[in-house]
Amino acid sequence: MRLHPMTLRILALALALLATVLFFSTQIDGYLSPRMFTRITTSAAVILPVAVGQAIVVITRNIDLSIGSAVGVVAYLTGDLLGSHPDLHPLVVALIAMGLGAGIGAINGVLVAWGRVPSIIVTLGTLALWRTFLVQYSDARTITTASLPQWLVDLPQANAFTLLGVDVRVTVVLAVLSAAAMGLCLGRLRAARRFFAVGSNPDAAVMAGINAGVVVFLAFVLSGALAGLSGFLFLAKFGNITVVAGMGFELKAVAAVVVGGVSILGGSGSMLGVVIGTVLVDTIDNSLTRWELVSEFWRDALLGFLIMAAVTVDTFMSRQLTRFARKEG
Amino acid sequence: MKKIGIALGLVASLMGSAALAEAVKATPGGAVNMVLLPKFLGILPFDQADRGAQEAAKELGNTGTYQYIGPTPENSAAGQIEMLTTATTQKQNVVMLSNNAGDQIAAVAEAAQAAGTKVVTWDSPIPSGKGESVFVAQVDFGSIGTVMADMVMDLTGGSGEFAILSASPDAANQNAWIEAMKKVLAADAKYKDLKLDDVVYGNDQSEESYNKALGLVDKYPNLKVIMAPTTVGIVAAAKAMQDEKLCDKVKVSGLGLPAEMVSYTMNGCAPEFALWSFVDLGYLTAYTSYMLATGAIKGEVGETFHAGRMGDFTIEADPGRAGAKRVLMGPFTVYTKDNVEAAAK
Repeated sequence: MRLHPMTLRILALALALLATVLFFSTQIDGYLSPRMFTRITTSAAVILPVAVGQAIVVITRNIDLSIGSAVGVVAYLTGDLLGSHPDLHPLVVALIAMGLGAGIGAINGVLVAWGRVPSIIVTLGTLALWRTFLVQYSDARTITTASLPQWLVDLPQANAFTLLGVDVRVTVVLAVLSAAAMGLCLGRLRAARRFFAVGSNPDAAVMAGINAGVVVFLAFVLSGALAGLSGFLFLAKFGNITVVAGMGFELKAVAAVVVGGVSILGGSGSMLGVVIGTVLVDTIDNSLTRWELVSEFWRDALLGFLIMAAVTVDTFMSRQLTRFARKEG
Repeated sequence: MKKIGIALGLVASLMGSAALAEAVKATPGGAVNMVLLPKFLGILPFDQADRGAQEAAKELGNTGTYQYIGPTPENSAAGQIEMLTTATTQKQNVVMLSNNAGDQIAAVAEAAQAAGTKVVTWDSPIPSGKGESVFVAQVDFGSIGTVMADMVMDLTGGSGEFAILSASPDAANQNAWIEAMKKVLAADAKYKDLKLDDVVYGNDQSEESYNKALGLVDKYPNLKVIMAPTTVGIVAAAKAMQDEKLCDKVKVSGLGLPAEMVSYTMNGCAPEFALWSFVDLGYLTAYTSYMLATGAIKGEVGETFHAGRMGDFTIEADPGRAGAKRVLMGPFTVYTKDNVEAAAK
């Protein structure tokens, strides 16, 4: 039997997650509880769509640093819209949020794909630009829960289903669905394979008749639309939106993507890896908060260390497993 | 313009020496170029301070320019340093700063003073006091400790466990308030049954504050109160308790904006919180700055001056920062369901 290196990576990552959970279950009382499951899944759900979008962009050998501002702008504009049109259908609201995000992504896409400006420069620029736009637009008004329709305020608590006594929330299902849809497309759709082609060798991709510009543009549009979905979930979960909304999300997304085994050099990565990576980073973060042994000041340092350790273990294990698989084969 | 300034200063100082014990009054109509520099743009408290400062500038008939500028949220510390430097090269007369850059900004502030630009801090001072003419303190930092302790007393019924959810570990004002609260708790026997379990930081981010609040509830099963002396943290914590249907068990309190807190106060998740008026803080800061720049006051300890509708204030040594000076505004308003709705409008 011969295993694909990507499968090995995911196996290694899943083991790292398992080890993390087992370790903290010996350290924190009542850790393996349905409550803790809900805590971690609902918190990871807000980040997951952004991480999935980031992964697609990174696969094409680019990076999208503007998503923190995109999440904030979408959360604010959607909240503002609901304040004046509270009767909009929930589905329409979610689509509007994703549309706004896609628009923001399209601007990045045009500049990177056809303006030929490196994505790190473009998206650093739009990161600042959209935050400034939000500052101007908001005029220091806060979106509060009181101005939002009840269905949205109740959404984070809504249960999709209960499995063996464990609650799975609607927001979690939404986030996982977005990742699964992207994962299926990337794995099964011929057209979607072009993201990998452009990322692993842009010149060869062009030779093979792929319009690299369109592919990169679409990657940014998708990233924007998914940031829009995160913005929608952010609005639902926190209710209180100011100009700082979504700040720092770009770094969380990059962390989740890198831990999830997406190559920062482009051309490889899987959505399952990104899901596990997102959950792993969030598990570490949420567990450290509840761990008696470390003081507040050491948590950030320890989080950084554990992320590095996770990546190292993952790389090491997948190398070992590849060797092992070769012998077997 | 400079000449007018000097002339005004002379007149004012003459008047000042003539009436030594009385409060110095500002001479309206001077030309003072003012810059109000908040931590960052786009949130309500700083906009309210801007409103107050404009009101004061108008009342004083200031013929100089007034600018409200600030960095974007993600660029706060670096942006403040840059803007203070720019204001200095533009030869602005006074910069009113709510410092978010710790002592990093001290060197730039000293350079500004040397070039003739006064630096008056408000809301959050320069920790070392270096480069700062005077700090306009919203309330006595020590008394914030008392108010926070008393709110915990009220909400716990006199005994029980509580935890603090702060902004960032390097926010000078937050740390001073937490220290003040610890001192108050240790000093007075009536607080002996209150137990501070933990201090955590949400870094003024909704999601971090929300997760930290839930973390506290999980970690300390007997927790009765989450005390959040930050407007971002308090709303996030209240939302978290409401979402988890924990409001009967764990109450949220701290410093918050009535407009953001009203629904949580009415539904009992955050029955009691406090704040001062940021409009008044901006007003007093602009008055102090105008009088400093016109030379009506020198910024020495013991000087008393009259700040329009707010009455008389005296410059005093800052008890929290050795060698630094402050003007103390005060007082607090404690908001409950009786007054929060009116204040939220």
